[in-house]
Amino acid sequence: MSARNVGAEATTERAVALSLSDLPPGASAVVEAFGTMVAVFNVEGRIFAVGNNCPHHGGPLCRGRVSGTHLPSRPHEYRYGREGRVLVCPWHGREFDIESGQALFDPSVRVKVYEARVEDGQIVLTRRRNRSPS
Amino acid sequence: MIDCDVHQTFNRLSDLLPWIDPAYRDYVLHAGFGGFELPNYLTWMHPNGTTRGDAVPPEGGVPGSDYETMREQLLDPLDVEYAILTGEDILSVSSLPNPQVAAAVAAAYNRQLIDEWLPRDSRLKGSLVVATQDAVRAAKEIRTLGGHTDIVQVLLPGAATSGYGHLQYHPIYEAAVETGLPVAMHVGGEGLGINPPPTATGYPIYYIEWHVLLIQCAMSHVVSLVCHGVFEKYPELRVVMIETGVAWLPTLLWRLDTDWKALRSEVPWAKRLPSETVREHMRLTTQPLDEPDSRQELKQALGLVDGLENMLMFATDYPHWDFDRPDLVSRRLPTSWREKVMSENARALYGLPAKPIRAAAAGEGLATS
Repeated sequence: MSARNVGAEATTERAVALSLSDLPPGASAVVEAFGTMVAVFNVEGRIFAVGNNCPHHGGPLCRGRVSGTHLPSRPHEYRYGREGRVLVCPWHGREFDIESGQALFDPSVRVKVYEARVEDGQIVLTRRRNRSPS
Repeated sequence: MIDCDVHQTFNRLSDLLPWIDPAYRDYVLHAGFGGFELPNYLTWMHPNGTTRGDAVPPEGGVPGSDYETMREQLLDPLDVEYAILTGEDILSVSSLPNPQVAAAVAAAYNRQLIDEWLPRDSRLKGSLVVATQDAVRAAKEIRTLGGHTDIVQVLLPGAATSGYGHLQYHPIYEAAVETGLPVAMHVGGEGLGINPPPTATGYPIYYIEWHVLLIQCAMSHVVSLVCHGVFEKYPELRVVMIETGVAWLPTLLWRLDTDWKALRSEVPWAKRLPSETVREHMRLTTQPLDEPDSRQELKQALGLVDGLENMLMFATDYPHWDFDRPDLVSRRLPTSWREKVMSENARALYGLPAKPIRAAAAGEGLATS
């Protein structure tokens, strides 16, 4: 347990995004949740949800490709990895880890991620927020 | 906002058949492997795709080929007052070995632009693409079509077999001045076909090298135009550099000015300080606007060229991957530059009508007729 949670009250908000049957493996969608647009992806049965606007210029991440990438390597050697975990912005091509939201070029740059799970055939998004006691 | 670089295109080159000179129809249909193709960027390929991933028309086709998609993604939501159309692969006509085929394909493209694109929307303005292999023929095309109301400039590719100051290109400038059109030079054809390698050290391996170094062509043309006295010979000529950004300009001009002071007798027709000539005669589009760590750094860089606020013209480069958003660009410019760069410099250069004064905007002091 981290110290910063002492005396704080964690709140959890939930939102039903869409039906799993509308998001087959390989598909993506954009939904409105928590007052913002969220991009939802089905990557081989695993659901991921991230804020839809790329932190660079606002490109629509729901239209981005999910793939792997070339891992940092020795000069002139390609090594492929992180398959199904890299979201590529459809505008300027910036890469994000779809699970953590961190940009591959700089982990301090990140897109917001939401926990996503399937309940009774519905994709449910969760946002956790720590609220200070009033 | 006036967008000075919007890429519209045909889906397949055979779409131009209705406009092609019949002498070239069989060539277009049957040349090569089942039909003529323009040299294209299959040499240096963007690993994620050259165009925006969300710009493919819903009915299929290449990005930029469908007016409705362009209207929905660009013209309407970004409040584009005018979009200067700059084509796409067509700039590669000047990379072809065969000057006759090049001129015929460019001519068909220009007529399709005039017949099918420009009448669709009063916001669309066209660029006349000419093949540079035969500048006399190019000049004839400029004199034939340059007077069309919705044609606002002549367009040449950034790639060339020599700097654009060379004598061989002068018929193009003469015709452009005669028809009152600026001449634009837009990234295109670097390293393709008959063109030299795209960098001064030859052929790069990676797309990132190729793309970053595209500015070399723009730099070469600026120096060439000045040193060959093109603007002394054609004082009314205006030249626009498109899609090469801007931050490379200050140090190039410092170097050129310094050298000119010592070497002016070699090019005595270049009568003024080169930076003054460039300031008066050249324009640059903003995209891709450089992205240093802070806005302050960008403002410092832009401040290094006197009068740059009168030279820069905003462009999105839609639907290319390195598209610039107008709101983000505007915010990064010095406040006093915004109106000029986002619309008024282009309006003045292209002679576009003044914005009608609307009730809400009446206080902004824009001239109206």
